[in-house]
Amino acid sequence: MSAAGRTGAGWWLLILPAFLLLVVFYVAPIAQVLTISVTEPELGLGNYERLFTSSAVQRVIETTLRICLITTVLALLLGYGIAYAITLARPRAQGWWILAVLVPLWISVLVRAFAWVTLLRRQGLVNNALLGAGVIDEPLPLVWNEFGIIVGMVHYMVPFAVLPMLASMREIDPRLLAAARGLGASRGEVFRRVFLPLSLPGVIAAGVLVFIFSLGFYITPAILGGGKTLMVAEWISLQILDLIRWGLGTMMATMLIAAILVTLLVFSRIVDLRRIFGAGA
Amino acid sequence: MQSFQQDCVDLAFQKFRRGQISRRGLLTALSALGVAPLAGGEARAQGNRQLVMVNWGGLANQGFGRFYGDPFMAANQGWTVVQDSTGPSAGRIRSMVESGRTTWDMCDSSASSSNLLGRQNLVTKIDYSIVKKEDTLPVGFALEYGAAPYSFSSVLCYDSAKFPEGGPTSWADFYDLRKFPGTRLLRRDALATLDAAQMALGKDPANLYPLDVRACLRKVSELRRNAVYWNSGSESEQFLRTGEAVMGQVWHTRATVLEAETNGRIKFIWPQALLQAGIFVIPRGNPGGEMAQRLLASMLANPEPQVGLLQLLGNGPTNPRAAALVPQDLRRKNPTDPENARVQVVLDGNWWGQNYQQVNADFIDTITG
Repeated sequence: MSAAGRTGAGWWLLILPAFLLLVVFYVAPIAQVLTISVTEPELGLGNYERLFTSSAVQRVIETTLRICLITTVLALLLGYGIAYAITLARPRAQGWWILAVLVPLWISVLVRAFAWVTLLRRQGLVNNALLGAGVIDEPLPLVWNEFGIIVGMVHYMVPFAVLPMLASMREIDPRLLAAARGLGASRGEVFRRVFLPLSLPGVIAAGVLVFIFSLGFYITPAILGGGKTLMVAEWISLQILDLIRWGLGTMMATMLIAAILVTLLVFSRIVDLRRIFGAGA
Repeated sequence: MQSFQQDCVDLAFQKFRRGQISRRGLLTALSALGVAPLAGGEARAQGNRQLVMVNWGGLANQGFGRFYGDPFMAANQGWTVVQDSTGPSAGRIRSMVESGRTTWDMCDSSASSSNLLGRQNLVTKIDYSIVKKEDTLPVGFALEYGAAPYSFSSVLCYDSAKFPEGGPTSWADFYDLRKFPGTRLLRRDALATLDAAQMALGKDPANLYPLDVRACLRKVSELRRNAVYWNSGSESEQFLRTGEAVMGQVWHTRATVLEAETNGRIKFIWPQALLQAGIFVIPRGNPGGEMAQRLLASMLANPEPQVGLLQLLGNGPTNPRAAALVPQDLRRKNPTDPENARVQVVLDGNWWGQNYQQVNADFIDTITG
């Protein structure tokens, strides 16, 4: 074996422990999940057939997709505004802005969900304030429904939307904007025809990240959904733990993984995925 | 999903924090938890024969040890009853018996599970020449594969401040959103929920079973937009306490707490409540053999300890002589007090044992999505 070949083998040996760890603790269980989905309760694709026949299964998927899409759009809109403001801010102010975006990320998702419950419930801060101001006569149903879930999820996702967009906005050469202005474009035109198109890759990257993240969301919907608005992750846990319908639960888990992979595959052709996940800035 | 037994333990901890039970009581339970409950083989080697009773953890360890184990040990020299708080779910009992190495003698289960396990030949039939049927309630508490030394109930609980012109008096009222507007609270579980829906449909409580599952599910789905669902007992309490729901179907142990705490603003009613049996089962091939039957007989036969358990955990006694021993102030909270038992409906464990899995899956599909 040549010297170069041996060095190559050495590198592979270094990777081996991590590789084995992944295979044993990640790939193998996922393979098992896949197996159960076609063997329980009986061999075959019966569980997958439910995707087309069971209205309950379809409803869960529909709810999940709807909530994820709305969450993604709202998080992108809010995040874009924040990222834009940060990009234009002075360097000192930028530091504070970024800190303000990151701090919520460090707070436990559980705490944030319960905080929203406190704010949004019938006798919560929001309803009491509105009632006190005479704006409404009856408390609004702000939580234990889709609205509550979306509020909680958007709150969680905004930082994840801001960061990729900020990265791509910072790469935009400010001289381009100045040049556009110099050539007679209005502020609005500069934004629409120069800044927005240049920041688009960041927007798509942020969108993919937020959407994929939302698909598997568990805690926030479980707490804010009031037990009746089920998203896929909670539905899976219900099938596995309470209803002992493992075949159905693992089928949905497999579909979730497939949905994430397909999303990644489609968008990997449009944007540089490595950028989303933080490699290579 | 949290079971009733686990919830009792939670509740006891809460009571302790509010100073309603003593620190000593709680500490005993905690130390009991710290000690390895299964000293099985060793103890037997020393000629000390023992029975293993399996509960759902925490204070039940102490409560069952003191009120079920101690009286038996006093009457049977040489026998010890040890508590194990593994949580004997039907799945665990099944895997233990199928592995061929049963180490449990007595498990805190439920009517529907006992039926399910019995049909799969995983638990032993109760020997009613040893266990006395007349020591428990006549209907639904002495089953083929299990008998109940305690009871609990799913009651209608409501916030009376929301209904100044008189509160609901039946499940029909519970389902009547026009007469009693406001959010409803249900357990995310078909058991007891569909039974109430069936009564709301107008079926005679005396002939409630078999349930018309499809009609009941339709009835439940009528509430879908106006309902929230609980998984754990503390959650159910919280929904009613904070006014998220104006009316709910909850365990009597939680309803009594709410009633006391709000000085009767949040009320609960016994009529049409679903009385359920706290069924114990004996896994097939249990090490203690027939002695487990004698232990069960003793648990059913002694009314005083059952009243003790009512005071500690809220579990209702089942021995017919126990009700008279309950102190006056506790009677309102006792599901098997004759006054309360008379107006309740006994949940049919046999029907549920045969139908639970499928019906519950359909129920979940109905309320979610």
